Amino acid sequence: MILWILIAAMTAAAALSILVPLAHTRAEEPAEDVQTADEAVYRQQLEEVERDLDRGLIDPAAAEAARTEIARRLLAAHERGQNGRKSAESKSSLRTAQVIAVAVLPMFALGLYLFLGAPGMPDQPLSARMTAPAEDQSVDVLVARVEKHLAENPEDGQGWVVVAPVYMQLGKPEQAAQAYANAIRLLGRRDDWEANLGEALTVANDGIVNVAAREAFERAIALEPEAIKPRFFLALALGQEGKTEAAIAAWQDLLEGADPREAWVASAVSSLERLGGTVPEMGDGLRGPDQEQMAAASQMMPEDRQQMIEGMVAGLDARLKSDGGSADEWAQLMRAQVVLGNEDAAREAFELAQAAFEGDEEALASINDAAREFGIIKSN
Amino acid sequence: MAVALGLILFALSDQIVFFQSPTDIAEKGVPEGQRIRLGGLVEEGTVVRSDNAQVSFKVTDTVNAVAVTYQGILPDLFREGQGIVAEGQIGTDGVFVADTVLAKHDENYIPKEVAEALKDKGHWQGEE
Amino acid sequence: MIVELGHYALVLTFALTLIQSTVPLWGAVREDDRLMAIAPPVSIAMFFLVLISFAALTIAYVTSDFSVVNVWENSHSAKPMLFKITGVWGNHEGSLLLWVLILVFFGALVAYFGSNMPSPLRAATLAVQGWVTAGFVLFMLATSNPFNRIPSAPIEGNDLNPILQDIGLAIHPPLLYVGYVGFSITFSFAVAALILGRIDAAWARWVRPWTLLAWAFLTLGIAMGSYWAYYELGWGGWWFWDPVENASFMPWLAGTALLHSAIVMEKRDALKVWTVLLAIFTFSLSLLGTFLVRSGVLTSVHAFATDPARGVFILVLLCLFIGGSLSLYAWRAPLLKQGGLFSPISREGALVLNNLFLSAATAAVLVGTLYPLALDAITGEKISVGEPFFNLTFGPLMVPLLMAIPFGPVLAWKRGDLLAAAERLYAGFGIAILAVLFTFWLWGMERVLAPIGVGLGVWVMAGAICEIWTRVKPREVGLKRAFERLKGLPGAAWGTATAHFGVGVTVLGIVTASAFQDEYVQTMKPGDTVNLSGYAVTFDGVAPRRGANFIEDVGHFTVRQSGVVIAEMEPSKRLYTARQFPTTEAGIHTVGFSQIYLSMGEGRPNGAIDVRVYFKPLVTLIWIGCVIMAIGAVFSMADRRLRVGAPKPSAKRSPQPSATPAE
Repeated sequence: MILWILIAAMTAAAALSILVPLAHTRAEEPAEDVQTADEAVYRQQLEEVERDLDRGLIDPAAAEAARTEIARRLLAAHERGQNGRKSAESKSSLRTAQVIAVAVLPMFALGLYLFLGAPGMPDQPLSARMTAPAEDQSVDVLVARVEKHLAENPEDGQGWVVVAPVYMQLGKPEQAAQAYANAIRLLGRRDDWEANLGEALTVANDGIVNVAAREAFERAIALEPEAIKPRFFLALALGQEGKTEAAIAAWQDLLEGADPREAWVASAVSSLERLGGTVPEMGDGLRGPDQEQMAAASQMMPEDRQQMIEGMVAGLDARLKSDGGSADEWAQLMRAQVVLGNEDAAREAFELAQAAFEGDEEALASINDAAREFGIIKSN
Repeated sequence: MAVALGLILFALSDQIVFFQSPTDIAEKGVPEGQRIRLGGLVEEGTVVRSDNAQVSFKVTDTVNAVAVTYQGILPDLFREGQGIVAEGQIGTDGVFVADTVLAKHDENYIPKEVAEALKDKGHWQGEE
Repeated sequence: MIVELGHYALVLTFALTLIQSTVPLWGAVREDDRLMAIAPPVSIAMFFLVLISFAALTIAYVTSDFSVVNVWENSHSAKPMLFKITGVWGNHEGSLLLWVLILVFFGALVAYFGSNMPSPLRAATLAVQGWVTAGFVLFMLATSNPFNRIPSAPIEGNDLNPILQDIGLAIHPPLLYVGYVGFSITFSFAVAALILGRIDAAWARWVRPWTLLAWAFLTLGIAMGSYWAYYELGWGGWWFWDPVENASFMPWLAGTALLHSAIVMEKRDALKVWTVLLAIFTFSLSLLGTFLVRSGVLTSVHAFATDPARGVFILVLLCLFIGGSLSLYAWRAPLLKQGGLFSPISREGALVLNNLFLSAATAAVLVGTLYPLALDAITGEKISVGEPFFNLTFGPLMVPLLMAIPFGPVLAWKRGDLLAAAERLYAGFGIAILAVLFTFWLWGMERVLAPIGVGLGVWVMAGAICEIWTRVKPREVGLKRAFERLKGLPGAAWGTATAHFGVGVTVLGIVTASAFQDEYVQTMKPGDTVNLSGYAVTFDGVAPRRGANFIEDVGHFTVRQSGVVIAEMEPSKRLYTARQFPTTEAGIHTVGFSQIYLSMGEGRPNGAIDVRVYFKPLVTLIWIGCVIMAIGAVFSMADRRLRVGAPKPSAKRSPQPSATPAE
């Protein structure tokens, strides 16, 4: 609506720029100013000649000649003024011009605009697109938001943790590996991150476990010797390297006592059989899967991965609610909830954080900034 | 004015530089010492750098290739497999001694002469 | 909404241009005051509309609104704010919008300051300006609309070509455009005068300030562009006779000729036919320059738009404007009465000589620029016309012109005395000879031409000082009186002397920087030192560094003079990560007017690197001279006499114009 009002105002102004001068009746004799404009120039030239003569720049004879010449032009100009032109104001052309200004101009401009323009389309500045509600946005936009945040705060380890599995899900293993590496660098080693780093590197390398990936898996095992995922990939690596016996041993070790219902088991069994090893006795399947196994099992399953992220966010949420945390951590929680599309949870986190830091101006300011950035509260 | 015109015509007859592809040179030959512009792709694996900023490489239109030497700093976008234009002359040994090397200046730019020369040879699959 | 408002403003401007190009002209021919009277307000309205349009596009850039195709193609949210703004005109569509903005700005200036011009001339001039505006706005709306939208905005933009992410880009095109487009006003004046059939001395005076303004900006724009190429491209050259450079240089040469012939027309009512033709040619060359750059017919390092449809459109516009105005000229010019006569040895004669040489030089550049294109189009043969051609044609034309420059201002009008003029200049001549001898003593006898070139530059500079000196005559009238006379000198005299002095400065810079440049190209290992022109440049090593949107390898060099460290220089090779685009950043250290210039090439595995080191004596004078020339133009514009042509707008017209008792 405002657009149309402004368009109307602009058109009116343009039409007025034609109508006002047309309506103006002239009191003065128009011929006068036309001719005096010429004459003024020549009078000035005469003065210049005098001045040049005074300064000795030209000799008197030259000055005289110049004066005659200019005087002749001045006379001619004056005569033109006398003969004068009379303003021939014709009613019909005036009328035509008025019609053009009032009718043709707006119609033409509007018609052409409707043909070329897109009046219904709002502006979409980056800031507006970045703060739009999460549920309205594609994963790409959400990732872009996190990326923007990380570009500004590259030292935010939690941010990297959040974004890394999303990258895996989007089929960008290189970025995922980079994100895990950053998380590990900033927040210290954790066996699941190391294992995921190795996995991302392996996927990026078309399923071949390379040296960097193997080192990551080995670091993960050093931290948690019983972890499934790193052992799984290391066994795979041994097979790829042609160390058949070692590989068979590793698979057997991994499968021994495993729950046959788990997703990875089938793949492990087939690998083992391809190498010619015998499948060991597996568990009775009564034991429930622990979280470690869940993570390993969900290797290629997007829904599970989403669940994992949600689990991590939920963990952070629970910890902050029970134990409290720093303003930065609250901000991270808010961001994570926004990214996951949990607008209400994000708002709740914001309110809790505000309550937690009552009186602490600095912390409140940073929380408010974060809330604005993530679109939890409207920017003023 | 007549003098100026004469000057222009003289300069045109004497100072223009013809554009040649490696195949043109192989087929028609170029008089020794005549300045030409040589255009084509830098053949992969032929760039050899030696001391004193000496560089030698081969320019190819995928049919024929001409060896080129150049002393100086190559343009930023000089890479193997890229289109370039070199200006200079062919020495007695058949090696083209360049005094100027121009490379494409943005990612979509390939010297027009090079593009057309390559099209002639049917080896151009650019979008233009 | 803002974007759409800008779009509508542009469309409305187009509608107004159609009215502007017809109604006032009809009024001027029919002598209907009311119809003529719409021209100034409509001009001002158009200016504000295009300003709204330009502001809307700028806002879209600043807020990274990628729903606008043009913004998405040429911007990136991570780009520094300065380059978001300069990115507005760093592309085809945006630069056209800037072009049109300047076009209507000049129209509005004429409307605002031209209230003392005869109203038919003003109305017709603004109408012709309206034609040009209509052509360009239609071109934009039809083929290059900057306000095209994408329904769902992409996340990230494509970024601006890194080579254009430089402060030089921020300044260079607008200056150049003000110059190019400024000549549209002289064109409009010329065509209007031809239509009205009245061209006289007064006309020349009204045109003069506009010519000066356009010329000053074009001078600065060319100098800026040259300096930008010098430090950004890393080749150490400041002029490449590249077609795009030529495209801006031709209107400059023609505009310089116009500036001088208009003086003759103003003072002596002579050379009218020629001056009008020059006014048409100057703007035609500006249009041709636009065509060459925008149509992509050139294989040039600068061209950033290549689209055949656009090329054809501009070609049609070009033919229409140039062909139309020349036909009008052929039809109307015979009606023009020739004015005052003069002998060959006179101020007029000198100015005619200036015009002859400048026109011939323009023709030489034009041929050198277009001949390869024409030959390619006709025979398919590919040639290149490079520096040797231009040196051979342009150089010989400039030498006599430069020798003649000091004579012009000291010769009398109508019938001059060469001996008397020479007498006034003997001091300047003496200084020039001394300069030649000094150069020989400094650099030896091997190069004969270079010292003579130095002498030529000094001669032009000294001539300009001589001119002021002889006008003031301090020896005859005493110092105090001389100072008063100095203050009393008209602005035009100061302008002439200053601009000519600037020419001399530039010539001196060109000669010394080309002839006495010291250059080394070699592979340096860390610790290596090269000696050139008394400076020892030591290569210390290369280290990587990370910038805002690029990574770079920075070389570290130490410059010593007689063992004392005088500078540390850091040239670099950058890689803009978003586009994987490498650039070379030259290291430049200024010593007095001279510069040491370092640029790095490919690195070697052993830490050695190819380095090109120049010592360029007095190279900065090239650009300083251009700035002095532009200052000269400003002095001339400030001349109060010109205000007869462009005084304050009088709200009420007094029967006797106030201009008469101006002194």
